[in-house]
Amino acid sequence: MSEPIEPQTPAEPEVPTGPYVYDYAASPQRQVVLPKTVPLPSLKTYRAEVVAQQAADEAKWQKMQADYETAKAKAEAEGKEAPKPPVKPVPRKDDNDMKTPWPQEAKAPDLLRLQELLGDKVEEVFEQAGELTCQVRKEALHEALRLCRDDASLKYEMLADQTGTHYPAAKDFAFSLVYQLTSISRRKRLRVRILVPEGFEPESACSLYPGANWMERETYDMLGIRFKDHPDMTRILCPEDWEGYPLRKEYPTVGWGQRDIDLREDRGGVLMRIAMEKAGQMGINLKQPQAD
Amino acid sequence: MFKNEEMEINLGPQHPSTHGVLRVKLRLDGETVVKCTPIIGYLHRGVEKICENKTFFQGQVWTDRMDYVAAISNNLGWAEGVEKLFGIEVPRRARYIRTMLTEMNRLASHLLWLATHALDIGAMTVFLYTFREREYLLDLFEAFCGARLTTTAFRIGGLREDLPPGFIKQAQAFQDIFLDCMEEYETLLSENRIWKKRTVGVAKINAEDCIALGITGPVLRAAGVPYDIRKAFPSAAYAEMDFEIPTRPEADTYARYLVRLAEMRQSHRIIQQCIDGLPEGPVMAKIPKILKSEVNEVYHSIEAPKGELGYYFVGEKGGTTPYRMHVRAPSFVNMQALSKMVEGRLLADVIAAIGTLDVVLGEIDR
Amino acid sequence: MPTMTLTQTLVMGLIQIVAVLVLIFVMVPLLTFAERKVIGYVQVRLGATRTAGGHRGLTGALNRGMWAMGKVPVLSILRGLPVFIADILKLILKEDIIPEKADRAVFTLAPILSVMAAFGVFSAIAFYPGVLFTFPAGFPIVGGLPFMGFISDVNVSLLYIIGLASVGVYGIVLGAWASNSKYPLLGGLRSAAQIVSYEVPLTLSLLVPVVLSGSLNFREMSLRLGTGEGMSWLATFPLMAGFLIYTTCGFAETNRTPFDLPEAENELVAGFHTEYSGMKFGFFYLAEYTNMIVVSTFASGFFLGGYHFLPFGLQRFIPATVPFFGQPSLIFFFGKVFFILFTYLWVRATLPRYRYDQLMDVGWKYLIPLTLVNLFVAAMIRFAY
Repeated sequence: MSEPIEPQTPAEPEVPTGPYVYDYAASPQRQVVLPKTVPLPSLKTYRAEVVAQQAADEAKWQKMQADYETAKAKAEAEGKEAPKPPVKPVPRKDDNDMKTPWPQEAKAPDLLRLQELLGDKVEEVFEQAGELTCQVRKEALHEALRLCRDDASLKYEMLADQTGTHYPAAKDFAFSLVYQLTSISRRKRLRVRILVPEGFEPESACSLYPGANWMERETYDMLGIRFKDHPDMTRILCPEDWEGYPLRKEYPTVGWGQRDIDLREDRGGVLMRIAMEKAGQMGINLKQPQAD
Repeated sequence: MFKNEEMEINLGPQHPSTHGVLRVKLRLDGETVVKCTPIIGYLHRGVEKICENKTFFQGQVWTDRMDYVAAISNNLGWAEGVEKLFGIEVPRRARYIRTMLTEMNRLASHLLWLATHALDIGAMTVFLYTFREREYLLDLFEAFCGARLTTTAFRIGGLREDLPPGFIKQAQAFQDIFLDCMEEYETLLSENRIWKKRTVGVAKINAEDCIALGITGPVLRAAGVPYDIRKAFPSAAYAEMDFEIPTRPEADTYARYLVRLAEMRQSHRIIQQCIDGLPEGPVMAKIPKILKSEVNEVYHSIEAPKGELGYYFVGEKGGTTPYRMHVRAPSFVNMQALSKMVEGRLLADVIAAIGTLDVVLGEIDR
Repeated sequence: MPTMTLTQTLVMGLIQIVAVLVLIFVMVPLLTFAERKVIGYVQVRLGATRTAGGHRGLTGALNRGMWAMGKVPVLSILRGLPVFIADILKLILKEDIIPEKADRAVFTLAPILSVMAAFGVFSAIAFYPGVLFTFPAGFPIVGGLPFMGFISDVNVSLLYIIGLASVGVYGIVLGAWASNSKYPLLGGLRSAAQIVSYEVPLTLSLLVPVVLSGSLNFREMSLRLGTGEGMSWLATFPLMAGFLIYTTCGFAETNRTPFDLPEAENELVAGFHTEYSGMKFGFFYLAEYTNMIVVSTFASGFFLGGYHFLPFGLQRFIPATVPFFGQPSLIFFFGKVFFILFTYLWVRATLPRYRYDQLMDVGWKYLIPLTLVNLFVAAMIRFAY
């Protein structure tokens, strides 16, 4: 009789703290570098950044001037030639055809109308690269979508796309969910966005846009966000027993059992030789039998 | 003594007419479909995850592998999406060449659709006729970028090279024969009694359902909705082109067949306009060697042969790779219509419905 | 005809059976080859119209020369032949797999049944109404005996032929059922329904020549219908209509496009023979093509004037004194057979496939009423004359 196997308690994971835990110790290659920033496009953040940048520039300029003054005083005291006065740095002008689209104040009537209808449920509205974005509170998603679809002056009949992004570095939320709406009759596009924390179940858009069915299933499959009142909340692209959610930033890009030596990068054949030696030590002959 | 039993069969993943590795779980009562459940994901390669780890230039290579019969359309969507993210202005000549190649690709894709759709319904000859013309188009692609199927035709900011010498002449030669070739297909199919019997009134889906389900492309236009992204949100040089949006009110398989054929004629027109009005000038915008994005998100969509192909990018500050990339694949969304189209109809109609949706599994599964 | 001893009868019969078998085994591969060529030319396929021989030997030298001149090789008839040979070799050499869950005995029996039914029909078909040649007197055992254009001259041969031909469907249905798999089962169901449905108009349309000629013997019917003797000139019309109906039903009976639903490869993978491989599949293949020949033979013998030059009893306008065209000949018979076989291939390259319910509609709603009307007209003509 064999002894009953004692259930082993897995070691406490260090990073990251998601719902799924990867055993990085078993495969160090699967270690991932998590992003440090939260690249969530937003007018507020942009403005804050601009202000901060201006302040930083100003501070730098002040410091340069102060440095110059001290250097000048020092030079005068030592009787040397005075250093050159500092020049205020101007932003470098690139000679190229790029014109970075920054977030702008919302001027489109659709956004204003939506803001008027939803009131304080709207967190933010802005335009960027000619696209309209309306960020609403996560509880008000259903209401916002219904207004977009039914309101006579909005009439966004079609849900073109629905997807999400993972922001592991963010404090008060983990995902942004975007709904790309298209108005076929008015030839307009609108993006409705919500920010959801880990574990929050947003309402499904299936009752408003039946086409959201597979899109939300894909979002669940890839990011692990479950939707409330969804008719069939199962995985769609990955197998049903798949572990983890691939499009989260903590999901490694190296698969289980992927070979440690990438032979494509082994130009000199050194690694190949080492691999064959190692295999030889294990009693495996990898060499092709050669005729005499 | 007698009992009625439903049979469950798996159409696919290995089946001659599921256009790849689509699996459709069918519950049959005799030959009548009681329930139809499409099951996808057999070709999932994680293109979105891969593209998050590739630079903006490298990612385009992966778009070829999605809708592999219309790779140039995918390239166009990627290139224009990234250009929108960075705010790059593309030279006019490059936009014309892009338009021309994309329309040629639309022809190639529609030819392949006609071939496989007709073959599914049993008309074998059309298959080989359309492949004859598709071969010509693939040769043109090869002359332009060296690849026939996985083209990676464009670069961010324009084109890598101008058209090779003699390309316009060859394209014109194709233009001259193509309409006659289309006559050939129509002679075989359009008024064929059996073809009409198999397609008229089959796999209907009306305009309301189409819009609710997010279905775009020829399927939506065959339901009478003149929604074409080339007209509604024009990109490349489509705003300068003169063409029509063919629509039909019937919303059945035959209407989709007619709409796609009419679309091929319109594509022919657009190519001719591109050839005639090709402007001179540079083909590449001035952009830095390494693109570093700002915090921004864009959703850019183009009219791919199958429908609305959208790219969603999120850029991070100073990032050389997209922070997040998502593809709105037309086949993925259109596939949802299958159950609605075939439930209550016969097994042979499932095949016709899959054919008329014109799905490519590389794009559905990504 | 000199009286024959028992041995002579047996040996003579054996010789004729072998001759017919050789004929089948020559015609079927040639038919598949012709299919490749005809469809290859219709569909601008390159394999069947360009592939010719290797680069060795005499043909190779000729081919090389032609390629060097920038032309397609001269041996045009041989183009596509390597593909054809490879196809036959593949059929013979391929591993014969019996699925584990299949009913082994029935699974093996089914293709045999199909082939037997298809071959058995030939014993009552008269390829030529009289003596083809006489064995020379010095020939062992059969010296001095005539070699007839048929194996046996059964007086109810039509009955025998139709009876035996409908056994063929058992091969398909049994094979489908014994495979114990879902796609073959669907194919078998379709096949059973289809063949039972089309058996009715097929037989009814064959009754028109029976009524008009007043015989059930293949040879006699063929001769009488060909020359039009003892028939009104009006009989031409029911014969023409009957020919069209018969050919349509013949397409359905042999599971050919546009009625190839039992093996519709785009819906049912391969229909009833999905699980078959190797020579068992080859037998089904053989049976299908043999059936095509049988159907063509019937159409030729009953409707297209058989051994005579002109079809539908129009031969009456050519007096028997005219050399060649006035006489019955094997050439005319086979010429018509080949024409109908060509039509098979032509249709296959042109038409799509019917759907199951439409197929039933065509059979029950159009063909059967049409044949009944046609039969009525034929009977009226017969009665009035």
